[in-house]
Amino acid sequence: MKKLLPISLRVNGETHDVLVAPWRTLLEVLRETLGLTGAKRSCQEGQCGTCTVLIDGKPINSCLYLAVEAQGKDIQTIEGLAKGGALDQIQKSFVQKGGIQCGFCTPGFVLATKSLLNDNPSPSEDDIRTAMVGHLCRCTGYVQIIEAIQDAASQLRHEGGS
Amino acid sequence: MSYLRRLPKFEYLATRSIDEACDLLAVHGNQAGLLAGGTDLLLKMRRRETSPAYIIGLKGVAELSGVRTLADGGIAIGAMTTIQALMSSPVVREKYGVLAEAAAGIGGPELRNVATIGGNLAGALPCADLPPALITLGAKVRLKSRNGERVVPVEDLFPQFGMTVARPDELLTTIQLPNVPSFSGGVYLKFHDRQSMDMTTVGVSAFVTWDQANRVFRDVKIGLASSAPVPMRARKAEAVLRGRACADDTLEEAALAVCEEADPRSSWRATREFRFDLLRSLTKRAIKGARDKAAPMIGEAS
Repeated sequence: MKKLLPISLRVNGETHDVLVAPWRTLLEVLRETLGLTGAKRSCQEGQCGTCTVLIDGKPINSCLYLAVEAQGKDIQTIEGLAKGGALDQIQKSFVQKGGIQCGFCTPGFVLATKSLLNDNPSPSEDDIRTAMVGHLCRCTGYVQIIEAIQDAASQLRHEGGS
Repeated sequence: MSYLRRLPKFEYLATRSIDEACDLLAVHGNQAGLLAGGTDLLLKMRRRETSPAYIIGLKGVAELSGVRTLADGGIAIGAMTTIQALMSSPVVREKYGVLAEAAAGIGGPELRNVATIGGNLAGALPCADLPPALITLGAKVRLKSRNGERVVPVEDLFPQFGMTVARPDELLTTIQLPNVPSFSGGVYLKFHDRQSMDMTTVGVSAFVTWDQANRVFRDVKIGLASSAPVPMRARKAEAVLRGRACADDTLEEAALAVCEEADPRSSWRATREFRFDLLRSLTKRAIKGARDKAAPMIGEAS
């Protein structure tokens, strides 16, 4: 079983042609082949959320997703969020509200927030807590993270001019 | 350490259609794993509980996804429909609320976006949340192979722990739900340690059809999670309730009947005795809740 499969992955709008073994997860290929180490490896069983990336705009655990099955999909990682050196509003809010301490869980939280605010621009605190159940943070106690998400939502609503 | 482990090696076979998947199963069935969402199978593979030589990937089979309305008023749910799509489906939310409720209680968005209804059934875990809800709704699954197709009620799908009656060459394609009668409603209640992202300690689904004229239970179906080695239906308790009013002592009698039928295990999560306590109180609450949905106008009066 030495079969490497040629696949094409579209990550942050850029297409990468790579040879991967079928048993490699999307997380492994992102980190080890493409050098995108924003998504973190931690529990490896879908509990902690640190490996979260967006596939077609929806958050998934990249540790439980085969790279070969991510072909033809639009993959977004934390590296694709800042544009021209300027942080995305969600990232700014996390910085400003102290939603980051050690930073290990942050990419997962930020991407999950991206998807949440896309579907629901004015989430209640309950909506936020429900959307973030799959993410663990051992530093902040979550309070600042929730404030950061509320702040990002409010800033983005103002940006939208409504 | 297991958490650093990579997946065992396998050959990946992509499929685009049900027929193609059945052809691959006919050849490789005994050595193949069917990969739906992967939130269960990939974990088992990482723990080396299973190492299939072939993985048949189903994510590319479009005809296995989605919810269709049937001519008889029921619905057909494709096995690859994600838990998120299931709980967001308007017809599921409106007519099969108990199923939407059970789906919404599973994991978080990251898991629900990939985990599927077919995987939740095929995994055959006693703690799965969808089987009890589906059993109480009278759901059946279609199992397809190159040699034909058969229909199996969900309540008969699990012969023993971790197994389904599906043969190695069969693919679970569709979950069919019959139309719901008028004056009916269902509730799924579960107990688990954390408020989310946890396995179910005990789950009870109740579906009540209410006899509005006589104010008694016309029919009740009860399904249980984590209460036996397999997801199960509690027929004795259902028989206790049929034709009777919704009185406290009747509910107590039904709850005791559920405990007689159930055979929960002790694990680090909970002792057998604690699970019996949970079954007793969740059963009463689920039946009462389902009755209130079936006959919303009568409120507290029975």
